[in-house]
Amino acid sequence: MATDDGSARGAEKTEKDASEAGAAGHGAEPRGKRSENGEATYLIAIAEALWEEMERDDRVFMLGEDIGVYGGAFKVTEGFIEKFGPERIMDTPICEETIVGTAVGAAMEGLRPIAEFQYADFMTSGFDELVTVAGKYHYRSGVRLPIVFRGPSGGGVRASNFHSNNPEPFFAHTPGLKVICPAFPTDAKGLLKSAVRDDNPCVFLEHKWIYRRIKEQVPTDPDFTVPIGKAEVKRDGGDLSIIAYGAMVHRALEAATELEDDGISVEVLDLRTVWPLDTEAILRTVERTSRAIVLYESHKAFGIGAEVSAVIAEEGFDLLDAPIVRLAPPNVPVPFSPALEDAYIPQVENIVEAVQKLSKW
Amino acid sequence: MVTKARDREARRGSGSSGASGSGAKGDSPGKQIERLGLEQEDLTRILYFLKLCRYFDERMETLYRQGKLPGAIYSGRGQEGTHVGVAFALRKEDSLFPTHRDLSAQLTKGLELKRVMAQYWGRIDGYTRGRDGNSHVGDWADARTFTAISHLPIAYPVACGAALAYKHRGEPRVALAICGDGATSNGRWHEALNMSALHDLPVVWVVNNNLWAYSTPNTQEIPVETIAQRGAAYGMPGVRVDGANVLDVFEAATVAVERARKGEGPSLIESVSLRWRGHAGHDPAKYVPKEMLEDYMQNKDPVKRFQDLLQKEGVVDDGAVAELESRIKKEFDQGYEFAQSSPLPDPGDVELGLWADDGYWDREASRNGGLS
Repeated sequence: MATDDGSARGAEKTEKDASEAGAAGHGAEPRGKRSENGEATYLIAIAEALWEEMERDDRVFMLGEDIGVYGGAFKVTEGFIEKFGPERIMDTPICEETIVGTAVGAAMEGLRPIAEFQYADFMTSGFDELVTVAGKYHYRSGVRLPIVFRGPSGGGVRASNFHSNNPEPFFAHTPGLKVICPAFPTDAKGLLKSAVRDDNPCVFLEHKWIYRRIKEQVPTDPDFTVPIGKAEVKRDGGDLSIIAYGAMVHRALEAATELEDDGISVEVLDLRTVWPLDTEAILRTVERTSRAIVLYESHKAFGIGAEVSAVIAEEGFDLLDAPIVRLAPPNVPVPFSPALEDAYIPQVENIVEAVQKLSKW
Repeated sequence: MVTKARDREARRGSGSSGASGSGAKGDSPGKQIERLGLEQEDLTRILYFLKLCRYFDERMETLYRQGKLPGAIYSGRGQEGTHVGVAFALRKEDSLFPTHRDLSAQLTKGLELKRVMAQYWGRIDGYTRGRDGNSHVGDWADARTFTAISHLPIAYPVACGAALAYKHRGEPRVALAICGDGATSNGRWHEALNMSALHDLPVVWVVNNNLWAYSTPNTQEIPVETIAQRGAAYGMPGVRVDGANVLDVFEAATVAVERARKGEGPSLIESVSLRWRGHAGHDPAKYVPKEMLEDYMQNKDPVKRFQDLLQKEGVVDDGAVAELESRIKKEFDQGYEFAQSSPLPDPGDVELGLWADDGYWDREASRNGGLS
């Protein structure tokens, strides 16, 4: 488990330990506010984005399970119902297909829905409406569907099989959905605001390991946005590139800090959006370092990194001095036992080892 | 399972619809017409749509069998009373969420025949610009219909969303969704009814019970007497009407639509008829008992029944009927010519139109006077 994120952007981990009870969301404490020095956690940054967009545009509304009085499984929408009322913070029964379908119909009629899934794992319960209706509808009809589908994804919080998944490959593979997986509070806020303003259906995956662990100074300008589809170098380096997104960015940054002592300079590229994929940024970093590790938390085979690797192989073969390396979980369900989960998700030591090996190639 | 299915069959009486006829309120057809406030023009329009849809269905099947039509056909024959009856109860600004079986409802709601035909031939002037085919069609900009999708009842949840928007904005508009009897076994059907009732959404749920879900009869898919009674589980009115009587369907739909429009919440309508043809063009539907098919075709033909009624009531005479028939034939022939002369989509555009901002649909909008 990561102990220090080593971010070049000055992001800090909060004092919470990964295995602490409540970290998976249920029973967690209220979201609270920014800290006294103005820093916001990833979760607060997301709440701010939602709040600001709802204030800015009265066509924006939210629907989901327990998002009203309870404030959502992770307390992202705590306090929203008092401000925006039950029509715009709409509690629904447990009916993921109908949550998605309702969002589609409302979008067809000019509203801008934000549908919350308690966990991204439950997006499979709404899969047909997402894939068969939302993804394909504009291509077939020209009707715009400005919808955001939010869900907490990812593991490392001892939440087991059904509360730890990374479903982004399903949706990246589906035509017509944008898939956003931010790693930092600032990016989460700016990308979520862009997603709400986008006229396409966007799947916005909030990594739950990051929610309360990473905080940083986050812009307060209500018109601050981050463009969808643009990766960003989070740490400059010359010897080797790690291409990652979500929580894996923090592992990569920590590994990069450790590797400094070995005299290896690692560049970390954060994809931020996994679809549309920023192929230019991927090829740019490979051009700089000629060595690439693709680090991702979705399953290794057919996961996001499989596509990234294919892009590098297909379009950047001449740039490489060594084979592409993929570091990702095996194609098994996310196991519970800390011993197994840590073996499943790439750890800092795995990354360090992979970098050392590849840099000698 | 088989025994229980037989029991249900016995209770229902060998596949008969069991739905009440035009004497739902015990009055004569003339009285019913008067009660519904339908003028001669309205009645003639209903007859026009019934006959248009029947004619279209038959001609398209012939073209399909001749190998002149690419793709698939999903016949709605025998069910025109349901389709025209519910769609005629809607205003222009109301929305319709049909299946691929419900083209007749879409034509009644305002789809242009020639553009529908261009759609069947994969042409650029089809409503989906060749990106989809056959009755997987819709026109949101003008007719306000959902572009049909195969997975049923996939549009039921979507209708909840449109209805929610009307309710949020306080607009007196209604969403009406159709699916078949088979789709009522799917979880989304129940999710959508539940959601609509919880939030008092202005929506009308129509089940076109054509007695067969592909090859599966009602008795093997529905463990209760009627689909209509399932409305009670969600606290909404559920009525069962005879799909052979377009005015009964129209009356039930009008009651449900006006209830929704007044903010009194959703309703469920089960309209019973028989699917005269197979699930799709390839299916000879040998699983439907011959006597059953003959009974429906001879005694429960919604088109013939309504035409006979209008002639008997003196609303139309033979001349008027002949005029309608020649107009329909002409429209079909013109639609066919339009479809054949419409260009195929540019293969270079295959990747365009996916994203809202790629400009494709804006560029194409000029072809037919604008898409939203």
